[in-house]
Amino acid sequence: MGALDGILVADFSRVLAGPLAAMTLGDLGAEVVKVEPPGGDETRGWFPPVDDEGRSTYFLAVNRNKRSVVFDLKDEGDLALTRELVSRADVVIENFRPGTMERFGLDYESVSRENPGVVYCSITGFGRDRGAAMPGYDPLVQALSGLMSVTGPADGEASKVGVAVVDVIAGMNAATGILAALYSRQAGGGGQRVEVDLLSTALSGLANQSSAWLNTGQAPTRAGNIHPSIEPFRTFTAADGPLMVCAGNDAQFARLAGALGSPELATDPRFLTNSDRVANREVLGELIEGALADQTVTEWTEAFTAAGVPAGPVNDIGQGYALAESLGLGPVDDTGGPRTPASPIGLSAEPTSSRRPPPTLDQHGEDIRRWLAGQADSPEG
Amino acid sequence: MAALDGILVADFSRVLAGPLASMTLGDLGADVVKVEPPTGDDTRAWNPPADDRGRATYYLTVNRNKRSVVLDLKDEADLELARELIRRADVLIENYRPATMGRFGLDYETVSAGNPGLVYCSISGFGENGGRDLPGFDPLVEAVSGLMSVTGPADGEATKVGVALVDVMTGQNAVIAILAALRAREQDGRGQKVSVNLLSTALAATENHGSSYLATGVSPKRSGNVHASIAPFETFHTENGPMMLCVGNEREFRHLLEALDLEDLAEDDRFKTNSDRVANRTELHRILGERLSAETREYWVEVFHEKGVPAGPVNEIGTGFELAESLGLDPIDDFDGTRSPASPLGLSTTPPKTRMAPPDLDQHGEEIRAWLAQQ
Repeated sequence: MGALDGILVADFSRVLAGPLAAMTLGDLGAEVVKVEPPGGDETRGWFPPVDDEGRSTYFLAVNRNKRSVVFDLKDEGDLALTRELVSRADVVIENFRPGTMERFGLDYESVSRENPGVVYCSITGFGRDRGAAMPGYDPLVQALSGLMSVTGPADGEASKVGVAVVDVIAGMNAATGILAALYSRQAGGGGQRVEVDLLSTALSGLANQSSAWLNTGQAPTRAGNIHPSIEPFRTFTAADGPLMVCAGNDAQFARLAGALGSPELATDPRFLTNSDRVANREVLGELIEGALADQTVTEWTEAFTAAGVPAGPVNDIGQGYALAESLGLGPVDDTGGPRTPASPIGLSAEPTSSRRPPPTLDQHGEDIRRWLAGQADSPEG
Repeated sequence: MAALDGILVADFSRVLAGPLASMTLGDLGADVVKVEPPTGDDTRAWNPPADDRGRATYYLTVNRNKRSVVLDLKDEADLELARELIRRADVLIENYRPATMGRFGLDYETVSAGNPGLVYCSISGFGENGGRDLPGFDPLVEAVSGLMSVTGPADGEATKVGVALVDVMTGQNAVIAILAALRAREQDGRGQKVSVNLLSTALAATENHGSSYLATGVSPKRSGNVHASIAPFETFHTENGPMMLCVGNEREFRHLLEALDLEDLAEDDRFKTNSDRVANRTELHRILGERLSAETREYWVEVFHEKGVPAGPVNEIGTGFELAESLGLDPIDDFDGTRSPASPLGLSTTPPKTRMAPPDLDQHGEEIRAWLAQQ
């Protein structure tokens, strides 16, 4: 049994943020109907890379636990079925540009008139107000929000994060907003409109960096792989590559010094406290790198971990999965189909489940149409 | 009215992921009691930067809508108050190393016996199995998960994200799990243990990269500020700084060429389709870059805006907030003189609301102790 058993989600969203939100609800037990235009979600065509069945791995990432139906909203018959679907749904998710759902009479006002309990979630780039016409591309929001400005080396270029993280956290915010609205509905409130936009998501996701600007008026700058206020809390170069070391307090620093074979560093007046180490970070960095140079990242990771010093290699993604496997975290979902990143959410009584692999286009179209046309009691076929 | 009216959260967490989760619940209406050791949440001391009252801005980020009480768990009387708080709570959040709560008899098995409806959320670095003793620092998880390996220039170093992003996302996953468990509790009255960890969060968030690795066995590489499968979808240098250009389809590419006075390129075989442009991205970047470097980014942003070409400057954070203000997004929560990033969650009938500024250490200690001592 899942936490969202009995919840029907009509998912009109495409690409990443919306589909991730819908998949999260599906992982938690909701029934998700993915409504696609005749050409399908555009990420079905975003390849390479593909899996061994020729399917886009981008699409596979965020579309398990869904059934697919193609509805051409420009077709009267399909539009009528779509209206029937949203009148039965507990949750609607869409990430079209503001105005698109209105054009088909599928906007919140129209849908909630028929279905007052609906939780209707819109995901936009820049809100529905003055930013309505602006396109919500993740890299554009990474640039505009300031996220890029704090990422990258201090003396180099501002860098984009290597994943569409603003899309990812917007999808998480959408799932949060929807769950809060469902909870409130259960407590006796009606449905409501949930709105999430990429720019607000990025600014709030900048957390302490945002707070620093808001409360001092000084915009934080990027610092590469060091931490602006903790030392040593950064990458160092070992014999065969970079090693991340996170010594967050004096005890860890003393253990680090011991593991390096230079216990005297811990009593050196230049490095006694964290503030001392931050003030003298360059000379400290040289001393540590000098000591690290003769052994490999693997050797140092073992030595530091045994000594109780947080440290590890800068892995590629495959090595990241291998690590999670070795720790018993079950990071891969491969129930009945392609391998996708498993849900990171653990619930002891109603765990997330994988019931359906990502669907082919219109895979469940026939069953869903019959159900919406009143010819079947359930969409199960 | 708020979505989580009547929900009591006992928050034993420190630093970022846990406090962000409990603040989000507080924004949604829950009553959050922040239980702190005598020395307080570590981040109270993480300055500079500090605001004009000397408070660490790090602490101010994720602690509004909470009341603070100091309970020294090593003190018998305080520990009894902590147990009473948990007996009354709907939600407990903690991010100690696994086993710490158990040492005080505050682990899930023990406390759920006295409060079977409790939703108990544990946040750890590497889970509660093989990684139970590993420390959960965000940069370490960025490194070992592979997130750093895909961030940074193709010919340069793997790069950390400029904010503790894995902590932030883990806090969000904690909220999703807690809300799902609260909903399930409405059906059968039973609580449960919910668990999230930094490594699983980071891997799940690699999304298309993770999925690509899982399907092909090849780990994706970093590609700097370009997009692996779309062009031009990257940063360019203008006369006065970098600008991001996101041309996602043929219509936008045509408009881009018009704006740059380079219409001839539309007929150039090297750039006809997106695949052509990706194949010849270096040459395309050179040609476009030459034109773009001749004017300021303010000039180009205006020209592109008129033409409907998605583009914008690489802003610093302050400029990002100004942009959001100008678009009517109300990105700043200003309560009682303390500014924090506003909740990004829009709910039409039960909107997030700020009722309390981040508390001083033990600010509400007296009232909470009195309440817990009451039968």
